[in-house]
Amino acid sequence: MTDTGREAGRLTVAGIEIEALRRGEGRPIVLLHGFQTLDPEARVLDLLARHGAVLAPSLPGFGRSPRPDDFDTVADLVHFVLALIDELPGERAILVGLSFGGWLAAEAAVKCCHRIDRLVLVDPVGIKIGPPDQPDILDIFNRSPDEVRAKSWHDPDRFAPDFDEMSDEALIVHARNREALCRYAWHPYMYDPQLKRWLARIGVPTLVLWGESDRIVTQDYGRAYSALIPGARFELIARAGHHPEIEQPEALVARIAAFLHQ
Amino acid sequence: MQAWYHCENVYPFVPQDVLDRAPSVRGSLPNRYCDPKIAADLFHECLDEHLLCDDLGVNVVSIEHHSGINSLYGASPLILGILARQTKKVRILSLGTLITVRPDPVRIAEEYATADVVSRGRLDIGFVKSGDSEMASGNANPVGFVDRFWEAIDLIIKTLTAHDGPFSWEGKYYTHRHVNIWPPPYQRPHPPLWAASGDPETTAELGRRGFVNALVLRGPQASKRAFDSYRAARREAGLPEPGTDRFAYAALAYVGDSDAEGVAVGGKLLWFLNTSLKQAPQFSRLLPGRNPPELAPQLWRTKPRPGAAGGGRPADGLIGITAEQAIARGILFAGNPDTVYRQIMRVYDEVGGFGHLIFIGRSGFLDHREAEKGIRLMAKEVLPRLPAMTTTPQARQAAE
Repeated sequence: MTDTGREAGRLTVAGIEIEALRRGEGRPIVLLHGFQTLDPEARVLDLLARHGAVLAPSLPGFGRSPRPDDFDTVADLVHFVLALIDELPGERAILVGLSFGGWLAAEAAVKCCHRIDRLVLVDPVGIKIGPPDQPDILDIFNRSPDEVRAKSWHDPDRFAPDFDEMSDEALIVHARNREALCRYAWHPYMYDPQLKRWLARIGVPTLVLWGESDRIVTQDYGRAYSALIPGARFELIARAGHHPEIEQPEALVARIAAFLHQ
Repeated sequence: MQAWYHCENVYPFVPQDVLDRAPSVRGSLPNRYCDPKIAADLFHECLDEHLLCDDLGVNVVSIEHHSGINSLYGASPLILGILARQTKKVRILSLGTLITVRPDPVRIAEEYATADVVSRGRLDIGFVKSGDSEMASGNANPVGFVDRFWEAIDLIIKTLTAHDGPFSWEGKYYTHRHVNIWPPPYQRPHPPLWAASGDPETTAELGRRGFVNALVLRGPQASKRAFDSYRAARREAGLPEPGTDRFAYAALAYVGDSDAEGVAVGGKLLWFLNTSLKQAPQFSRLLPGRNPPELAPQLWRTKPRPGAAGGGRPADGLIGITAEQAIARGILFAGNPDTVYRQIMRVYDEVGGFGHLIFIGRSGFLDHREAEKGIRLMAKEVLPRLPAMTTTPQARQAAE
């Protein structure tokens, strides 16, 4: 892996050279992004780096990472995450998944826990809880951008992206992220019908964190999700919506740190 | 020249204030605004227009759109079933069943084969890529729809042409273990194939495959670019130069007794562009897979920077167009028979000829009586004067 400081470096996993942000030293902490890749300046990276060597990859198709033509399912992403963890130094890694990345982290932990030390899921998607005519997860592709904005953030005016102010490059990455997410998670929308029954296989200490104001996927869903993972702890983050890593990075990392040092 | 009457069976009777308030008139407008009794009348009127075309020797087009005021035809094969039995002479073009939003191309092939048999071999099959709000209403992933388009076409053609018992298809997007449709199509090897596209990459592939390339409301410049790309791809592949039978031009059209009548009534067709195209951003400019991410700077900013390119669908640029502008841009033919003839021939010369004229003769508040008058005048006073179609050598051999 090449390390180029604050900007993303490159990392080759399973024959695919992706971009990845690195911070800090110590035990490996893999941070899987949600709907959008992490900003290299995101405070959560530096805060988390006080507790280990943070590696935040842009998964294939996201950010500036390429996607092979025959790589287009959540299963591909989960295998990719497992391959990435296999290549890390040390015995075990801490796996932190945000939103969509939380889904991938849960799937990875169901498949294979022996290289995972602890699991942290932050507002994860990935399972179906409610009845057929009540979606658990807001359809961010079919609903109006205004509704998605209002339901994503505790304080949208302060934290929602301002597309008029974003650079061309940032907007292109934003659109690339949405395209990749849509490709992987369109149908069934944001969940794997089989995952719920297998969450009980997760055999590592697990913390489920939830933005109290998240209306992309609500805290009731989070509680139900957490209850399906043996021994998992569920905690709310106040004054945060679907992206606590952006709205409350200090509170989020404090909870994670407490969990890691238990 | 072959002429084709095209009517989308629109539903314009939603109060304007509702349409003005709705973020989208497709995909999400509640169907409580569609009165099924009015819809029934519209279906009967439009089907009667197709029967009039049958009497007059004008071919007919069947289309498909979903969940909006722009069309009540949600299932082209259903309408083909009616047309196949009720018309007697003319050809019927499906343009088309939305193959990129339907889960099973084999079922589409089966329905097409049935319509071809019922009509005793009068079906033409056209493929359209679809997109926008139809990805939501069709529950189809908007990302990757172009790849699905070609695989669906390959599977449909194989389904129509396989006659030796079940075959299996294990493609990237579609799997079907036991394909063996009854009846097979009436025409062999299969009904003529068309596709609607103006994008040069797609039209080049249409050229190599020898499909009829239809350009719908794209005007002469974009049509010429598409047809040139079609011709060039055939030349590069060592295939014979296409005749005009491979090219179709579609425009709004209305023939009146006078220029004033033609423009006044034909101008009503612009409702299709000015009212029925309104779509919410999540179904249009912000829909993933619709535009390359590199266009995001133009699409995501609410205040586009000066000189930034659009990135919308070609038809988006037509919203708000006047009759005079539409005529000047070759999107609308309207006037008395002489005028309409001249307008068509101007476009014909500009694009290098086309063998098929698709005229969209009813839309918006243009009513049934007006539509029938326009069809009659077009059939009797304009179409007989249009140039004969030239045929592509390969197509000629297949016909023989």
